[in-house]
Amino acid sequence: MTGARTIGVDVGPTNTDGALLVDDAPAATVKVPSAADPVDSVRFAVAALLREAPRAPRVTHVAIGLRSAAHAVTRREGLTRVGVLRIGGPVSDAVPPLAHWPADLRTAVHAGSAMVEGGAGLTPADATALDGDAVARFAAGLAGRCDAFAVTGVFSPIDDTQEQQAAEIIRREVGADAFVGLSAGSGGLGLIERENSIVLDAALSRHTRVLADALTAALGALGLSSTTVLVARGDGTLTSLEYLRLHPSLALGSGPAGTLRGAGVLTGLTDAVVADVGARRIRVGLLAGGFPQESRPGLVIGGVPVSFPMPDLIRVPADDADAFEEAVDRMQPGAARLPLVVVGGGSAALAATRAPAAHVLLPEHGLVAGAFGAALSPVGGAHERLMRAGDAAGTHAVDEVREGARRSAVRAGADPRRIVVLPVERVPVPYLPGPAFSLRARAVGPPSPL
Amino acid sequence: MREIGIEQLADIARGAGILGTGGGGDPYVGMLLAREAVRRHGPVTVVDIDEVPADATVVPISSMGAPTVLLEKLPSGREEINALRALEAVLGRRATHLVPIEIGGVNSMIPLAAAAHAGLPIVDGDAMGRAFPEAQMVLPGLIGVANSPMALADDKGNTIVVQAVDNTEAERIARAVCVERGCQISCADTVLRGDQLRDGLVPATLTLAENLGRAVREARAEHRDPVAAARELLGGVHLSVGKVVDVERRTEGGFARGRARLEGAGTVLELDFQNEHLLARRDGRVVATTPDLICVLDTETGEPVTTESLRYGLRVTVLAAPCDPRWSTPAGLALTGPRYFGYDLDHHPLTD
Repeated sequence: MTGARTIGVDVGPTNTDGALLVDDAPAATVKVPSAADPVDSVRFAVAALLREAPRAPRVTHVAIGLRSAAHAVTRREGLTRVGVLRIGGPVSDAVPPLAHWPADLRTAVHAGSAMVEGGAGLTPADATALDGDAVARFAAGLAGRCDAFAVTGVFSPIDDTQEQQAAEIIRREVGADAFVGLSAGSGGLGLIERENSIVLDAALSRHTRVLADALTAALGALGLSSTTVLVARGDGTLTSLEYLRLHPSLALGSGPAGTLRGAGVLTGLTDAVVADVGARRIRVGLLAGGFPQESRPGLVIGGVPVSFPMPDLIRVPADDADAFEEAVDRMQPGAARLPLVVVGGGSAALAATRAPAAHVLLPEHGLVAGAFGAALSPVGGAHERLMRAGDAAGTHAVDEVREGARRSAVRAGADPRRIVVLPVERVPVPYLPGPAFSLRARAVGPPSPL
Repeated sequence: MREIGIEQLADIARGAGILGTGGGGDPYVGMLLAREAVRRHGPVTVVDIDEVPADATVVPISSMGAPTVLLEKLPSGREEINALRALEAVLGRRATHLVPIEIGGVNSMIPLAAAAHAGLPIVDGDAMGRAFPEAQMVLPGLIGVANSPMALADDKGNTIVVQAVDNTEAERIARAVCVERGCQISCADTVLRGDQLRDGLVPATLTLAENLGRAVREARAEHRDPVAAARELLGGVHLSVGKVVDVERRTEGGFARGRARLEGAGTVLELDFQNEHLLARRDGRVVATTPDLICVLDTETGEPVTTESLRYGLRVTVLAAPCDPRWSTPAGLALTGPRYFGYDLDHHPLTD
């Protein structure tokens, strides 16, 4: 026993849940009404936890599940206006950036856009040289009017060199403090969705900066200034606040992902269907290999198609038993039935209505599952690339994607000595010769000690 | 004669997805391209086959390659026009009309965008009546129309005109060019005279796609069964309604192939696919084969389900619709029947 203490907080729409763990075992849990400001909610929950268990050693980390990034997008609140740069001029101007966004979101986000020559290809020979002067002109034109940029290069998931070059040019023109989001890290192939994603990422930059500063200050005021602060990500892992400032959209799906993880850690299951029962709605998701199953292609946020890793959820009204049964069945990944874990405020009432034959688990502390999920999740990283079987590079691709995931986890705040790379996913890409596969690796590790 | 404006494009895309029989590429990105082209240049004039003069020069426009690449490297519309101009230079005359080579999938939309850019009318029909994976699988081939000269254009402004000895050779050359140019090229080929359209095209398939897409949308809005609405228009056979219980994918001879298993109403349906759905077996017995259309729809929404998105738990309905009758002739089956795709069995005519 080391006496290591961690705190998990899940800021929900109605209540904020908190859990304090000593050596991963629950020492105290709280549920407080959520405040208008999520930082206040965190402050109240953590203060309540510290009152419950005052005589304890240092808290090593506080991990928080949030819904504020998603709210900022759907309510069009607190968004930064973004300079949108697309690299791939001659080929990719048929559908301009933000072309089919809802008008109100576009107005809230769009500072200006340009399409410049350049772009990578499936192979290096298909690449076009970057028009650096055009990038500089674009950035200079927005200097002083815009401090967030989103850069999307054609085929950047295969080669992101030009996105990096463009970022350097933009910083040179508008100052090193500008937020410059690069699309290579925000999804696989599919230019429009990747561009939409990185634009929203940049649009959330100020919101995230304000949030991160306020969280640090609020926790410092509670005597936790030397505690690592982490935020739950949509893929069920955690990120440091520093890394979140660079990639604000990681927090989209944070709350629901933490709740799914919590259902897993509270039952010891790595594979289960999970129902999070709220007052009005039930969210049904799937825990696969210990992490939330991610949403399929076609994900839309705030009216915009995106490619974020967020939990695949079916939402049904809390009083519609048939819809709930079907949602649970739909989430089952295979013919062998996984158990159903029921968590959330309305969980006890719901579990009581289930047929006794069904394998339903109602874990202790399920009312505050999201807080446990946040407290007990690892820091994560992911990396993705395309591989064509038969390519000389193909044999190295798997190692490369594993190493990419490992590096990404380190940047997000994982302890480099204790990172585990999860098995690489291979998804066939149709109509490409080779045949071709999309490879994706994820890596996880405990938070790096301060 | 009528016009296609921005309002019709989403319906056409949905219908084209259904007619894509699981493949053909997601029409969504094509719809964005067509929408932008129509927004810039105005609505596209659509003419029936009967309205086209006998001496008209009708050029099918298409995109060849991987939809994944198309999603990344959106064509600007210039590629199609470059291919068209290169073809016209060899023909020594201008195109009077454009037409889709295939109505299934993204290639339903590419010629609409090109027609808007070129200011040409589009013919209501296509050369397949569905989606097929290879360039020689077109009805004009059955009436002796060559796909050469075949003009190909890449995204950088390069063009090449293929003059091949037969249609399969042209496909092989074009495929090699396509892979070399980054797995995405635009094509103008298989030129038809106005008086060849009746024999060389499946008529009124743009209208069919639009009607299908609208029927599904309206049924959904009015809380009727969207799949039944689609089936009524397709004239199809209902093969199965159930749930996907298994999907296996494997790589075989350079192709990504797969098989999905559906259970429902006491029967098991197995679907074989390779880009498109090729074969359906119910309780072990073959009930539908290529070139008939095997369409998988989301049971609840009526939206088309592509082979890539098949996965456990999806509630789907499988419909089979008869292909154009010219595909079930011996010459048609030699190009598109089950044996062409490596199955040791004959085309199975659809029965209820």
